[in-house]
Amino acid sequence: MTPMQQMSAHAAEGRLALQQCTGCGTVQYPPRQLCSACLADALEWRATDGEAGEVLATTLLHHSHAAEFYARLPLRIALVRFDAGPVAVCLLAEGCTAGTRVRVTARCDDHARTVLMATP
Amino acid sequence: MIGYGDVVVCAPVTIPYVRRSDKGATWWLGSALRKLLEASGLTKPRIDGLCLSSFTLAPDGPAPFVQYVGLSPRFLEFLPTGGACGVMALRRAARVVQCGDADVVACIAGDTNGPNSFRDLVAQFSSFSRDFVWPYGAGGPNASFAMLTDHAMRRTGATREDFGKLCIAQRQWAQRNPLALLRDELTMQAYLAARPIASPLHLFDCVMPCAGAEGFLVMHQAQASVLGLPFARVLATIERHNGFPDDPLQWRGGWAMDADVLWRQAAIGPDAIDLVQTYDDYPVISLLQFEDLGFCAKDAGAEFIRHNEFGPGGNLPHNTGGGQLSAGQAGAAGGYLGLVEALRQITGQAGERQVANVRHALVSGFGMINYDRGLCTAAAVLAA
Repeated sequence: MTPMQQMSAHAAEGRLALQQCTGCGTVQYPPRQLCSACLADALEWRATDGEAGEVLATTLLHHSHAAEFYARLPLRIALVRFDAGPVAVCLLAEGCTAGTRVRVTARCDDHARTVLMATP
Repeated sequence: MIGYGDVVVCAPVTIPYVRRSDKGATWWLGSALRKLLEASGLTKPRIDGLCLSSFTLAPDGPAPFVQYVGLSPRFLEFLPTGGACGVMALRRAARVVQCGDADVVACIAGDTNGPNSFRDLVAQFSSFSRDFVWPYGAGGPNASFAMLTDHAMRRTGATREDFGKLCIAQRQWAQRNPLALLRDELTMQAYLAARPIASPLHLFDCVMPCAGAEGFLVMHQAQASVLGLPFARVLATIERHNGFPDDPLQWRGGWAMDADVLWRQAAIGPDAIDLVQTYDDYPVISLLQFEDLGFCAKDAGAEFIRHNEFGPGGNLPHNTGGGQLSAGQAGAAGGYLGLVEALRQITGQAGERQVANVRHALVSGFGMINYDRGLCTAAAVLAA
C-alpha cells in the first residue's frame, strides 16, 4: 500500500494518522516512504481522533479544475500547522481565519483519499 | 566565485503564443530551434549543446527529441523546473561553453496547450499535489498562491490595489508588444471588479495558460561577434531548491538565501539595475522577489510598489513584455519569458517598448508549486 492508502485506511475508521519516524522522532505530512529528515524508512503511524493546530492562511476557492467539485464551490481551504509540526492543506469550517486554533480530523472521500477538515 | 568570462547570451526568439494548439510540444520546441538557426545563421551541426524544458513532451524526453529534430549535441540537459528553467538553462549552458564542453548551446522551452492540457498537467503535477491538494478541489496553483497572497497581504499591508498596480503596468507594456496575447486596456476598476478565482485572487491576478516557445543561444563573445549577433554578458547567477523548508508558510523564497552572493558576484547592487523581469504567475510573487532580491527591505514590498513606477516611462521598468500575466503562460516557456525579454531589451530589439540605455537587467525565476509552496528559485544579472 502507498502511504496515501495507509493513511486512508485509518481515515476510513475516523482516525487522523500522521507519520512519525521511530529513528529521529520527526512527524511528517504529506506521508512518504522515507523520513524527510533522516531518510530512514522506520516510520510508524500515530493515529488519533484529531490533532490540534493553528490556521496560517485561508482562501475561498471559487474555481476548480475537477468536475467533481463544481457543485460544492465555493470551498473554504486553509493551510493549518499542526502543533506536532507539519503543515497541511485542509477544508476549513466557516468562521475560522488566520490565527484561529482548530482541531483537524480525517475522513475518506469517494475515491478512498484522505480529506482533512479543520474546525474550531 | 568564478565569473562567466567571455560567455555571452544572444538570439532571443519567441514562437508566437496561441491560446489553444493542436500541435505537439515537439513542434513548438522544434520551431524555436529553427528560429534560433535563422536568427544566428548557424547550421544544425554547429549547435553542439542543448538545454530543453517542457511539461507536455511526454512520452518523448530529451533524447527522443534530438532524434526528432536531427541534432547530435555533445551536451544535453533537461530541466523540468518550470518557472526557474530559463535561468537554470543559462547558468548550465554558460559553464559548459566556458569550460569547452560545447561551443554553442541552444536553450529552448515550450509547451502545447490542447483542450485538456492544463487540467491534465495540474491533476498529475506531482504525487503531493495529486494526493494531498487535488482532493480538496484545489488542484493547480491557484489555491496555494491564494494562501500565500492572503499571508503576504497581512504581513506587508499590501492591498488589492497594490497588486493591481503591477498588473496594470504590465498590461501597458503588453500593449506595446505584438507577441502578448492580452493587450486590451486594463483599468483599476476592471481589475478590482473581476470575478473571484480563489480569494484574495481574482481573474487578472492569474495567468492564462497557452501554447508557445522561447529560446536563446549561449556562446563565446568572439563567436557572437563573427556571427554579427548583439549579445548580453552574464554577470552573476543563483539558484536554490526547497529553500527555507522549515518555514511553515512561504513568506520568503530561496532568493533570500542567495541574494548576497548574486550581488557580490555581479559587483553591483539592486540600485544599478535598469530593468527587472520577475516571475509573475501571480503578482504576489513579484512582491516577494522585490523583497528577497534586495530591492527593498523584507516586509516593505507593498511600500516599494507604492513608491515606484513600473510601466512605460516609469523609474523601474518591470516585466516589459507584459509578463506572463499579459503575454500568457506557455508552460515551461514561462520560465524563459523574462530572460528572453531582458535579452531583447539589452540588445535593442524590443521595438515599441524599448527602454533606453539598459546597462544591467535582473531576471528572476520561480518554479514548481508543489503542495503548499514554490520549490525552485533562480536569478541572473545580465549586462550590456
